[in-house]
Amino acid sequence: MIETSGLTKHYGDVVAVDRVSLRIEPGEIYALLGLNGAGKTTTIRMLLGMVRPTRGTVSVLGTEVCPGEHAVWSRVGYLVETPAAYPELTVTENLLVAQRLRGRTAPQAVTDVITLLGLTPYADRRAGTLSLGNAQRLGLAKALLHKPDLLILDEPANGLDPAGVAEIRTLLLDLSHEHGVTVLLSSHILTEVARLATRIGVIHNGRLVHELTPHDIATQTRPRLSVTTLDQHTAGVVLRCAGFSPEPDGDSGFRLTDDSAVRHPELVATALVAAGCPPTRLAVEQDDLETCFLRLVGGR
Amino acid sequence: MNAAWTEWLKARRSHVPWVTLSAFTVIAFVGALFMFILQDQDRARDLGLLGTKASLVGGDATWPTYFALLAQTTAVGGFIVFGLVLTWIFGREFSQNTVKDLLALPTTRTAIVTAKFAVAAVWCSALSVYVYGLGLVAGAILRLPGWSAAVAAAGLTKLLATALMTILLTTPIALAASAGRGYLPGIGMMITATFLAQIVAALGYGHYFPWSVPALFSGLAGPGRDAPGVIGYASVAVVGLGGVLTTVAWWRNADQASSH
Repeated sequence: MIETSGLTKHYGDVVAVDRVSLRIEPGEIYALLGLNGAGKTTTIRMLLGMVRPTRGTVSVLGTEVCPGEHAVWSRVGYLVETPAAYPELTVTENLLVAQRLRGRTAPQAVTDVITLLGLTPYADRRAGTLSLGNAQRLGLAKALLHKPDLLILDEPANGLDPAGVAEIRTLLLDLSHEHGVTVLLSSHILTEVARLATRIGVIHNGRLVHELTPHDIATQTRPRLSVTTLDQHTAGVVLRCAGFSPEPDGDSGFRLTDDSAVRHPELVATALVAAGCPPTRLAVEQDDLETCFLRLVGGR
Repeated sequence: MNAAWTEWLKARRSHVPWVTLSAFTVIAFVGALFMFILQDQDRARDLGLLGTKASLVGGDATWPTYFALLAQTTAVGGFIVFGLVLTWIFGREFSQNTVKDLLALPTTRTAIVTAKFAVAAVWCSALSVYVYGLGLVAGAILRLPGWSAAVAAAGLTKLLATALMTILLTTPIALAASAGRGYLPGIGMMITATFLAQIVAALGYGHYFPWSVPALFSGLAGPGRDAPGVIGYASVAVVGLGGVLTTVAWWRNADQASSH
């Protein structure tokens, strides 16, 4: 569905996107996760042919993206950055504009998408009077109007209240599962993408630094037993002999993710005391998603 | 056609057509006012500066003079009004951040830009016809002498030719509004071109400077004076075509990294 190879964008000396190679398969919900300014939007703009890569290639739906190419966009819906609409036109008229420019959409498509996005009460209201949340819904409606095979959404939950976020999540899951729509979305909220994405690409300083599945994230956020001793070498041997799997954590500590160690830290303490290297610190720790995210992107 | 329909809808729903219509109503009204003043020499004297200005611009209160005056004001005022139309049509997409929704569509960017120019051309032409129609009504009310079908046809031809040249000269404003991503660069270019047109024409080189040509063609320098030659008309055509082509090329090829 989407394939990039060595995708790079320079703005003068600034490297906005650095050798990003990714492949998104049909039916996937792929999330680009990163801090603000990480390079998510520039990557998305290159995927949509709005920005010309300095190096590398982009292929969308099997077609290489280049300035003259336009046939492929009839199968792609997108929302880039903050939603925008013609303020003097009503919600319906804004969608009619999108429908005309998209071509080949069903006559009732505008009504259908207004209903789908819960915009019926605002259908005849001028877009300039909409709240940010409803403007975001209008932006999503434009992206969904023509029933695309591929959705590219930049921060789709921006401006939505918690109910709206849940609604959009359900909608995207439904589109993916029931209609086979492939979704690429960007976000800086790990909690959101962890619930939605089948794969997550972590982007930081323009580089794709990790690719994870929700299972990987569950592993990263699993509780662990953090152990510090005065004699790390001996403690390591003791713990391994006791059947644990200690992983070094700093100069004088270990991290144990074995269920038995997390549930019964007293067993670990007993083994270390009996071997003559008692723990100086023993604590069960668990990263929340936010901490996990910051660790992944190297932000903290 | 779809792109043209969307541009037409956006134009119809905005306040800008009413603003431009008002501006052209003022143009016709000021022309009519000058004719009214010139109809009576005592009235012209009584009105002081306004009367003097009317005498300088108008000459005598006849249909040919009135038609010439309408063409001259279209050349100068029309450039500003038509420039505002182009600035709004192109600059708004960047100021209101809507351009990103026009860039990855089955409708080509070339079609979208062409539709914008087409709507602008129709809009500006309609304004020119409107000011002529208003002029006919005002002239009839003032009972101006010198009417004939030939004079009316010549007046219309001159006005439309002036308007056509003026429209052509506004096309680079679309490029300025697009490349500058908003209204201000377009307005800046419009003011610069208007200013330079006055200066260059005053220096006597107006017939070589495209933005001076419509005013000279309409007779602003006086009947038969400084008429632009082939070079002048060709330069207008080159600017018009160049403005369209470079705007299309910019929309097709420039990075759309940010809307602001």
